[in-house]
Amino acid sequence: MSSRRKHTWGVAAALSAGALVLTTACSGDSGGGGSDDTIVIGVSLPLTGDFSEPGKGVQRGYEAWAQMVNEDGGLLGRQVELKILDDQSSADRVVQDYEALIAKDQVDLIFGPFSTRLVVPSARVAEEYGMLFVEPAGAAGEVFEQGFENLFYAAPAIAEDHYDYLAEYLLGLPEDERPQTVAVASMDDPFAQGTAYGLRDKLAEGGLEIVVDEVYPPNTTDFSSIAAKISSSGADVVVGGTQYQDAVNLIVSLQQLNYQPRLAAFSTAPTNPEFSAAIGAKTEGILSPTGYTPEAAWESNTDFVERYTEIHGSPPSEDEANAFTTGQVVAAAVEAVGCAEQGDCQQQLIDWLRDAEVDTVVGPLSWDDAGRPQSAHLIQQYVDGEIRIVLPEDAQEADFVFPKPAW
Amino acid sequence: MNTALLFQSLVLGVLLGGLYALLAAGLTLYFGVMRVVMIAHSAFLILAAYIAWYFNQQTGWDPLFSLLITVPLFFGIGVGMQRLLITRLRPATLTMMSVLLTFAIALFIEGMIGFVWSGTQRRIQLPYSGDSINFLGASVAVVKLMAFALAALSLALLYLLMKKSRFGQALRATIQHKEAAQLVGIRTDRVAGLGFGLGLATAAIGGTALSLDATIYPSLHWHWIGPLMAIIVVGGLGSIPGTAIAAMVLGIGQSLLQVPLGTTWAQTLFYVALFATLMLRPQGFFGGRLAQRF
Repeated sequence: MSSRRKHTWGVAAALSAGALVLTTACSGDSGGGGSDDTIVIGVSLPLTGDFSEPGKGVQRGYEAWAQMVNEDGGLLGRQVELKILDDQSSADRVVQDYEALIAKDQVDLIFGPFSTRLVVPSARVAEEYGMLFVEPAGAAGEVFEQGFENLFYAAPAIAEDHYDYLAEYLLGLPEDERPQTVAVASMDDPFAQGTAYGLRDKLAEGGLEIVVDEVYPPNTTDFSSIAAKISSSGADVVVGGTQYQDAVNLIVSLQQLNYQPRLAAFSTAPTNPEFSAAIGAKTEGILSPTGYTPEAAWESNTDFVERYTEIHGSPPSEDEANAFTTGQVVAAAVEAVGCAEQGDCQQQLIDWLRDAEVDTVVGPLSWDDAGRPQSAHLIQQYVDGEIRIVLPEDAQEADFVFPKPAW
Repeated sequence: MNTALLFQSLVLGVLLGGLYALLAAGLTLYFGVMRVVMIAHSAFLILAAYIAWYFNQQTGWDPLFSLLITVPLFFGIGVGMQRLLITRLRPATLTMMSVLLTFAIALFIEGMIGFVWSGTQRRIQLPYSGDSINFLGASVAVVKLMAFALAALSLALLYLLMKKSRFGQALRATIQHKEAAQLVGIRTDRVAGLGFGLGLATAAIGGTALSLDATIYPSLHWHWIGPLMAIIVVGGLGSIPGTAIAAMVLGIGQSLLQVPLGTTWAQTLFYVALFATLMLRPQGFFGGRLAQRF
């Protein structure tokens, strides 16, 4: 199936490349619409390897976006078409992929890949070619410290700010209710560490004591020793800078050691629908920051959730939404500027986005000079078996449960 | 560093070592019997874990029951693989070529798992997954204890089979000296096929034990093959007791080293042990002299 899909893309890319040559040869002849005048968008995603799980989520989001745009008449009246390559979660491959997409396949636009580790090298390629680079997943602070002038992160906030509402809440508690000690375990990954260390540093500044601070390599699968350290410290708060399997394995290992923290926060994993299938009824009280919720009342979101659910049978999660947001941001720029091709057009798109505010499924987004989005993440918690927004209070779907019930 | 944490880590290390021993047992058997480096062993482990997960998903029964399906199935696949694929490799380049062949099989299995069950990371949800037994102040997770028991039981069975049965004698004779074994009337090619099947049957048990307490995904096997290879080299290629001891030492070592060094450095223990073995005692610390033929 996937090879057949690749084949069709190959044919389509060849067709559109041919169409490009034709249209430049006989300029003045306006493209007659249809398949020879499509906007081709190049993407490289980790469809296999360590990031295949979120990578496929991003793929679903991009594909849903393309399908919906095409159903609604396309971009600038032209159909869009995605050309997605598999980078196998490797930073070397992702560079090759974007080189090939831009230079060889001559795609009109590009979308970003998944994960900070892959975003930085691919943004560099995009910058060399002067391409607009809107990305759904490079949230870590270091992404925005590389001096990229073409990069925009299509989500509400960078990793370090994900837990801002939680830190504010905890530090606002009266002295005798406030937790005193914190255990942190994070994957050796810029995004995961960004989220966990953002919270860690804010709590440490507020006077809480950091009693465990562990880092583990991304290939770690056995978390019993880390869990033993955390459990032995008896910390009030456990913070996990996690992706997916590490959070699940760490939580189960902590449960096996009968460790009962007063608050447990893990990035990314708890928002994954597979999470409660893996942990069962013991998710109660687990916290996670999220940049997206299907219930959000933003105008385009209602439409997105409805049509996405129609296609896939289940509502989109954060990865899908961030990918979709990327599509929306690029589309807004293309519609406003009125072009979608390599060359000068790309700089115009970048300039337009720099000062723009774009309405997306995660709310209105605007960016600073380095491409940092200027909004905030919501804090979700498992309450009565469902993941609900508990902070900030004005967006609350359920009351914040603290201390967390035993797991 | 407190003693309670140290003791807890020791207990975890013993449990981990037992699992390592089971997962590595098949690997050492293949090499012992046929000089085959079986890169796909860990892929079969993950496949067995996926079958256990799927079995549990479909029937709601304990994943351990899936062993009734996977053990005979894997044994059959093992015999078939040896008879149809491995025997076709030229004896002179067997070890080298088996790396390529089994690498391809590993990729194939990984691809098929992804194709059939998607790349979504799975975990069997067991009612007792978070339960533990208190042992002298340390918590022993029920699932880890079950995996350990499974490992101890199957390794003991394997050992008895190798030491006491006629087939075991024939297998050991084939390991020790193939030509001499042929001279005394052992049909070494048949024995090799059954030995390969036996190795893959341990993968079925190992994968099921793994599935009790792991989140699985198609590419997980790459994380396992390196440490398992290190274990069988340290243990002396072809020696099952050697593998068990090496697995135990490395498992406990890794678990204890994590306390002062952290996870990143503790993982290097396997490779340090591998280098040390190759430098000081290339035949392995417990095995015979097989490694010299490598």
